[in-house]
Amino acid sequence: MKSLFKGAGIVMLAGAFAVSGCSGNGNGANNQSGNQKADFNQTGLPIVKDAVTLRMVSPKAALAPEFSEMEIFKRLEKDTNVKINWENIPDTDYAEKKNLLLASGDLPDAFYAAGFTDYELINYGKDGTIIPLEDLIDQYAPNLKALLDRRPDIKSSITAPDGHIYGLPSFEENNLGTNPFFHVINKSWLDKLGLKVPQTLDEYTEALLAFKTQDPNGNGKQDEIPLSFMHMQWCMDIAGLFGAFGLPDNLEHRVVRDGKVIFTATQPEYKEALNYFHEKWYKTGLIDPESFTQDAAQYLAKGKTTDETLGSFVWWEIEEVVGTERAKDYVLLSPLKGPNGDQTIGRANGGGPGRGSFVITKENSNPEITMRWVDQQFEPYMAAQIHWGPLDIVYKKDENGKLVNLPLPEGTSAGEFRQKVAPGSGAPGVITFDDFGKVVDMEPRAQQRAKDLEQYYNPYMEKENYPNIFFEPEELDKINKIEPELIKYVNTQRGRFIVDGGTDAEWDSYLKTLDKMGLKELMEIYQTGLDRYNANLKK
Amino acid sequence: MNQLLKRKSRGDMWFDIINYILLTLIMLLVLYPLYFVLVASFSDPNNIYSGEVWLFPKGFTFDGYERIFSDSSIWIGYANSILYATLGTLIGVAVTVFAAYPLARKDLAGKSIIMWFLLVTMFFSGGLIPTYLLIKDLHMLNTMWALVIPGAGGVFNVIIVRTFFQSSIPDEMWEAASIDGCSNTRFFWSFVLPLSKSILAVMVLYHVVGFWNGFFDALIYLNDESKYPLQLVLRNILVQNQVNSGMMIDVESYAAKMRVTELIKYGVIMVSSLPLLILYPFLQKYFVKGVMIGSIKG
Repeated sequence: MKSLFKGAGIVMLAGAFAVSGCSGNGNGANNQSGNQKADFNQTGLPIVKDAVTLRMVSPKAALAPEFSEMEIFKRLEKDTNVKINWENIPDTDYAEKKNLLLASGDLPDAFYAAGFTDYELINYGKDGTIIPLEDLIDQYAPNLKALLDRRPDIKSSITAPDGHIYGLPSFEENNLGTNPFFHVINKSWLDKLGLKVPQTLDEYTEALLAFKTQDPNGNGKQDEIPLSFMHMQWCMDIAGLFGAFGLPDNLEHRVVRDGKVIFTATQPEYKEALNYFHEKWYKTGLIDPESFTQDAAQYLAKGKTTDETLGSFVWWEIEEVVGTERAKDYVLLSPLKGPNGDQTIGRANGGGPGRGSFVITKENSNPEITMRWVDQQFEPYMAAQIHWGPLDIVYKKDENGKLVNLPLPEGTSAGEFRQKVAPGSGAPGVITFDDFGKVVDMEPRAQQRAKDLEQYYNPYMEKENYPNIFFEPEELDKINKIEPELIKYVNTQRGRFIVDGGTDAEWDSYLKTLDKMGLKELMEIYQTGLDRYNANLKK
Repeated sequence: MNQLLKRKSRGDMWFDIINYILLTLIMLLVLYPLYFVLVASFSDPNNIYSGEVWLFPKGFTFDGYERIFSDSSIWIGYANSILYATLGTLIGVAVTVFAAYPLARKDLAGKSIIMWFLLVTMFFSGGLIPTYLLIKDLHMLNTMWALVIPGAGGVFNVIIVRTFFQSSIPDEMWEAASIDGCSNTRFFWSFVLPLSKSILAVMVLYHVVGFWNGFFDALIYLNDESKYPLQLVLRNILVQNQVNSGMMIDVESYAAKMRVTELIKYGVIMVSSLPLLILYPFLQKYFVKGVMIGSIKG
């Protein structure tokens, strides 16, 4: 055995040499495009006289065609004379493949809809794998430059702490996600039971109780589910209901009031809410016990059972849960007034522009051409088409030149169709709040959502949120080290407190555990980041 | 039969009965999920999730299959998978057998050194990134060769086949044949291979199953969607079910994805595993024999 390992060592060593030798040769061999600056037009179209090919890696939805077959990119190629050699990776496997390409040095000219995290932007920017873009933007990206000049907040949020811009923004500034938790109740059941739409938490509790006990669907069975949700999931959680106790919650348990960062899950209001939910709801069987374990498919199925069984739920949109037929039975609930008269709803954190949607690598020998190509997509009309779909397929121009939606092809849903004709929301391009209504119409469903937000939630909404802050690498390290475990613990405990109760007995040890996990340090980092961000805005 | 039963002691009988009961239970445990998938593939997804589907399809529908059969990428994937599995199995089995036979012979010089080299690869692998670079420098990226060549001839298989040869092809046979003027090559083709059908069948099954179910290599090495094997196509459709942060921006298309996924999930599992379910019984009779002999230490 001993001799075997000796032999193995030699073999490994030889292998290591072979591999390193190979990779040395391989690097730099993939510049298919070469240097063709002579052809390059500084302004106007096409960008180059003779076609240039760039290699780009991009994720795509599984049902979408390859980007080379998408009409929108064919048009871009025709206009610019820049041919893109697309390498599309299924979005579900993209992160893995991206890491492999970056780690092995097998770099394309650019990553498109790149989804680079802050961490990746900084680290790969620091070691030179991806190049700083601010000079290129100044010289070759008139559309993007105009946007950044007009909107310093966007510029500041895509600028890394070291002052460079490594990734280009992607942003649909529609403010639709400010409150993701649309809280829904079965109005037809309320009517049947002679109850009015609840205004306070206690009325709501009464309604749930009536749903459970008085057989509102009339099938003689007690199969009604008074309240179902998905524990700590985007747009399906009851975090919005915590607001009735004075301090709204969100998925990060992190809210901002008067510039101060507050961790909600250690506050007395939070504890009071948990007590209420356990005592009044869980113990009495008003909460669907599967709320803590179900996945979205199960959840959505509950709205579509043969007999109507769902009393109240939380989701992005009513139709998706209960189907278009039943949607008229349900209504949205404004934030409920709590036992102490509080009535407020949280504002989702983040929500600024994505900043890693396009990066150029060091292997790119035509960064100017690349920048000019991608800058086309920051022209507002083009940005809209890149995000939702091209003219004549999804949009037509009305008499004012605004893009308005064409009817969908029969038998397809908007979301599904959008995937097939456009790279979608992760792609570069910014549609600002001003552009909606002027350059492009919101999709009909988005318009509806904006109206609902206005009517039901905006009046009660918290003023501040925690913006999408670009942290220093050391801060990110610390956050990445502390936060995932801590949030996991808090969420597990939240589930336990709602199901089993026992907040009074266990609260102190719960707080102590959080201290040990580094809650204080974490909050300090967030506070520092926020202070820095606010200071920058005033500059 | 009666005779047999009578001769058994009471204890033996109980042992048999309990055995049969346990085995039946285990069989049901294995069969039911398969059956459920079949039934579910004909049912309305909402009924499945509300737990109403159990023994018979509920909300009977062909929608899932209709979608599957109208989706070209699934058929391209099917064709690719058949190509990769056939080609990969041919190459893999050939390499395995060609490697195993000499190693099974006593008169091969340097046998132990070669064996060492092979064994080392069982303990140490290059790791993902070096392997990726190697494939890249061999210019096999984005070609089917990246799937069928690097994995050909697993050492474990070589050992099984070698042991099979050693134990089922006596040296005396080669002596007798060579005295009659038979060459090495002739001996291999006319004696060894025909006598080793069972182990060949096992190897074929191992390889076919491996290639049919494999998606990771394809995921890493292929860029071109028209080259994806079936499992990768299916995986892309199925794993969309996860709720991820990307959803924050685009809940609507998430729900659209999910609806499609739910509709075709079970049908897709049926369609993809059917070929293996069909293949298996034909090879199974060789299976026990081949593996058992091959795995005896020689």
